[in-house]
Amino acid sequence: MKFLKTALLFLLLFATLSVHEGATAKMEQDKPDLPKTVGVWTRPDSPRVVDGTTIFKYMNGAGELYLGYRFDHLEVYEYAADGQDNILVELYFMKTSDDAFGLLSQDWGGEPVTLSQSPLSKAKLTPASSVSALYGKGLLRVWSDDIYARVMAYRETPESKEAVLSLGRAMTANRKNSSPPRLLNILPDTIDSAWRLRRDRISYFRSFLVLNSLYYLSHQNILGLDLSTEAVTAPYERVTSTENRERVQLLVVKYRDPARARHALEQFQEAYLPEHKKDFVSGSMAENPNFFKIEDGWLGYKLYDKRIALVFECPDQGSARMIINQIQFVQKGE
Amino acid sequence: MQDKRRLFTRRDFIRGTIGATLSASLLGARWAGATEEAARSSLVTVVRDQDVMDAAGVTVDRAVLKRMLDQTLIQFTGEKNVKDAWMTLVRPEDTVGLVPTPHLNPTHPEVFDTVRDALIDAGVPTKKILAAQGEIGKAERCSALIALPALKAHWLTGIGTVLKNYILYSGNPSRYHEENSAKLGEIWNLPDVEGKTRLVLVDALHPLCDKGPQPDPRYKWAYNGLIAGTDPVAVETVCLRIITEKRRALRGEPWPLSPPPICVEAADKVYGLGTSRMEEIRIEHHGWDLDLLL
Repeated sequence: MKFLKTALLFLLLFATLSVHEGATAKMEQDKPDLPKTVGVWTRPDSPRVVDGTTIFKYMNGAGELYLGYRFDHLEVYEYAADGQDNILVELYFMKTSDDAFGLLSQDWGGEPVTLSQSPLSKAKLTPASSVSALYGKGLLRVWSDDIYARVMAYRETPESKEAVLSLGRAMTANRKNSSPPRLLNILPDTIDSAWRLRRDRISYFRSFLVLNSLYYLSHQNILGLDLSTEAVTAPYERVTSTENRERVQLLVVKYRDPARARHALEQFQEAYLPEHKKDFVSGSMAENPNFFKIEDGWLGYKLYDKRIALVFECPDQGSARMIINQIQFVQKGE
Repeated sequence: MQDKRRLFTRRDFIRGTIGATLSASLLGARWAGATEEAARSSLVTVVRDQDVMDAAGVTVDRAVLKRMLDQTLIQFTGEKNVKDAWMTLVRPEDTVGLVPTPHLNPTHPEVFDTVRDALIDAGVPTKKILAAQGEIGKAERCSALIALPALKAHWLTGIGTVLKNYILYSGNPSRYHEENSAKLGEIWNLPDVEGKTRLVLVDALHPLCDKGPQPDPRYKWAYNGLIAGTDPVAVETVCLRIITEKRRALRGEPWPLSPPPICVEAADKVYGLGTSRMEEIRIEHHGWDLDLLL
């Protein structure tokens, strides 16, 4: 009996160690392998490591952006060369691929570049369909699975551009290509054939500070966003004549559970539509869309399970209703 | 999540009632109505030179920059020579603190050096010119301050140029982010700061028109300018116009700063630091006029 107990303990210990080693090996394998030298630039042996407790010391208030996503840590390398401006490499290790994607989705501008040999996932790639890296004026931004990277040449030259792109290729080599967050699939490409999604303005986020930097609603967190929520926002446009185009803003938030979603909607109603508070009966509104004429057009929202969809600045109630009703709240596989 | 005081939202901005809402909720101070104000006028000078930076926007030509600074002083004060111009702003017995922006599109060191050298030439002893960015003790040691911010947007406060330049004097900069950015003006009224700013000189050589939070060179451009005034709110208002127009030009459509820069109007209406109304600002431009954005 004693022998069996000891054997079992050893077995358990071995299994635990194997799992741990496996995880470590996976981390090592996934970790970008940056070259010691690129062109004439050379990096130090080890990076500066920044975590959630030191991020403000490294980048002041900019740290709020990364803490608004599920941030793990940051590794910073500075490549230097005699007579050349440095190249800064920042590798943001996020806790999920969705969070790394969200950081890239802050801005789809720049020149799309292909860094990886392996094709991107066949999943519906919503924003710039196959874009995972963007370059502009010396700055390369990369989404590679759970890493978001910024590689910046302080002075753009043909040589520094090649070095920056080479570093991008090195950091994405042998790393898997993940799909964009599933929540993006909730955005139809077109609505009623007239309203077209602005793919180049789709952003994925979790924080009200990020929302406010994309589409300002309030300086306070009136939708109850936090790291447990997911949100996506994008404009839709309708061209009414050669000169005139109308734009509405769609925002979808997914909460941890239906109770949180309902509570968030109550908060939003109280803060944003206080004059309609009497119309708002939390128990009876479930899944019924609501529409309100406010200063910048018609606002519509709908609560469904743990999701809220809101549309702003609609030209008329019919448009607001049609857009809200076109949202497919339940996606395949859910 | 929220306390019970009135929140301000996008709707307040659209209605134009943000001031009243801010006053009732956040600031706890009287919001001066337009009709209560005496007629005001503030001069802001914009001096530009196409040759002040190289094509890459990296290297500053110090000789051209000096000419621009001299022109700024002459134009702003109306004096005939640069020394007299400086002496209308500071005295040789002053301890003059220069306050550049240290982060996110920082002030070019060449701007700092050129101003320091000009003060020395004008008669201020070298030992009485201090680098005064940082804790409040640095401002306390000075009898005069020259604000040297760089022109930039900011992702937590909308604009992060003039009013935000003294944020470290507060001792608690994070207290002035988000909605509390409306209170940035109060820092200018701290006992060791109030009334000391003799000149606001904005480094607009290579501004940053997007909010960041980290610099993206796609949103930097060669404006090649110095923007100056003694009214910090007026200078900020002109800076805001330039950034807004540049953003519109880049995208070919309105691209408003988000979040909106609530500190500017609050600095005017609550803290009385100057005017945020373009119709009360007289802009004098000199030099390169391509894409002036004003």
